Amino acid sequence: MTNLGAAKAGDAAISIRGVSMSYGARRVLDQVDLDVRRGEILVLLGGSGSGKTTLLKHVLGLTKPEAGSISVNGVDITRCSRSELHAVRRHIGVAFQAGALFNSLSVEENVALPLRELTRLAESTIKLVVWMKLIAVGLSDAGSLYPPELSGGMRKRAAVARAMALDPEILIFDEPSAGLDPIVSAGLDELILFLKRSFGVTILVVTHELESAFRIADRIAMLYQGRLIAVDRKEQFAGNLHPRIRQFLDREPDAMPRVAAEEFIETYFRGAKHDH
Amino acid sequence: MTLLEQVGHATIDRVEDAGALTMQFWSVLWKLPRLLPIVGAARRWRATVGQMQAIGASALPMSGAMSLCTGFILALQSASELRRFGALEMVVSLVAIGFTRELGPLITALSVSGRSASAISAEIGTMVVTEEIDALRVMGLDPVEFTLAPKYLAALITLPCLTVLSTLFGIFAGYLFLAFSMDMSLRVYLQAVAEAVLLRDVGFMLLKSMVFATIIVHVGCLEGLRVRGGPEAVGHSTTAAVVKSTFLVIFADLIATAIFYLVGWSSIR
Repeated sequence: MTNLGAAKAGDAAISIRGVSMSYGARRVLDQVDLDVRRGEILVLLGGSGSGKTTLLKHVLGLTKPEAGSISVNGVDITRCSRSELHAVRRHIGVAFQAGALFNSLSVEENVALPLRELTRLAESTIKLVVWMKLIAVGLSDAGSLYPPELSGGMRKRAAVARAMALDPEILIFDEPSAGLDPIVSAGLDELILFLKRSFGVTILVVTHELESAFRIADRIAMLYQGRLIAVDRKEQFAGNLHPRIRQFLDREPDAMPRVAAEEFIETYFRGAKHDH
Repeated sequence: MTLLEQVGHATIDRVEDAGALTMQFWSVLWKLPRLLPIVGAARRWRATVGQMQAIGASALPMSGAMSLCTGFILALQSASELRRFGALEMVVSLVAIGFTRELGPLITALSVSGRSASAISAEIGTMVVTEEIDALRVMGLDPVEFTLAPKYLAALITLPCLTVLSTLFGIFAGYLFLAFSMDMSLRVYLQAVAEAVLLRDVGFMLLKSMVFATIIVHVGCLEGLRVRGGPEAVGHSTTAAVVKSTFLVIFADLIATAIFYLVGWSSIR
């Protein structure tokens, strides 16, 4: 199973090699190898507790792995200096699950924040850039609103606009369709495809939504209990016969809870009947 | 768990707290110059002004009322004893010295601890839960400079101001009592206060209030940053923040007063 997701060196925007991590005795990531190729949309699928959020934190350099390395644009972020990490992060935009917008700032100010803090652009230029980003995500008339006034879908779009502010080469989405209704969620899928088409960005999406995954992905990777069990083009992925992938794709529950429930009923209810 | 284990675990937790607080204190201290107008980063001082309003100005009614009540209580309690010795006017120096050295800083710190330690830990805890802290770090903005430092600078500026005002309220309450009970005039009262209080006492008061500001903000921030998991963890962190900061304020007060006593600065002249 080694080098499952590996590609040739050079054409990978993000390259994860042998990354392992555990919290206490629990192994959260186990020897993960994965490449995100330049210009593609890679969807990282996985159930709750599969380790996909942990892997994402590693890619962003928020956590350091116990073993293995992660290269973003050719820089190993597990070993580089703080300033190198800063430089790498300028090429990454992240749309967090709940948006992570700052409530004290309006949508415009949220999008302008990275521009104001990290560039020396003139105020008029910043205004223009912010306006363009808001148009790109379809929020051109919501700029003066504050995050609590936004709907769930608008908040995610605003987060995308902020992630795009510095024109990143890599965009990362954490659960873009979580908490959204199917229509809004489909709209966000369209937005992701639009961003890839028009800006040529490399996109990594972490999700557990199958429908959305198959709509937007070029390739799909699947994490199960901290191991990468498949990486494939989405057409091949749909035909993968790995039992866990079949279970995930066919939406079948784990066997364990049902058995436990039956045993429970057996012991307590039938047992109680015999007593009478 | 045996008693010995419990004591051991509790000790390790306290040592861990102390270490984390010290590290956080230094990292915030280095960022303070960045917040100043003109020499610091553009626009950063505005966050501090907002925090001065939230931590300092809004706490004035509360700490003022508390000091007024406490000043009156102190005067009443001491008067009943001092009257027996025919030394009712000693109430003046008791209230004045008591408030400048001890009650002014302490009451202000306790009211700010109740209001702001919880508010700070709730705000930062929520930012952790909603990934705003992660968002800052990923954008290359330092959460310490962005969220922690403005709060600390704001408290460092406003707590001494609040303390001075609270002390004035407390001393004024002493005057109210004496004006009613023995028709003392404000002029006489203020003269007696001026004779009783030394400049050293005022310096001690301001120093104490800055130590308290440090404790309140850093405990609040630390508990907020420790939040893991969902919104219910934020609730736990606010409780822990208030309990720990209130205790530490009183403990620091004890240490400071003990040092001043041993050095001899607090003896009657």
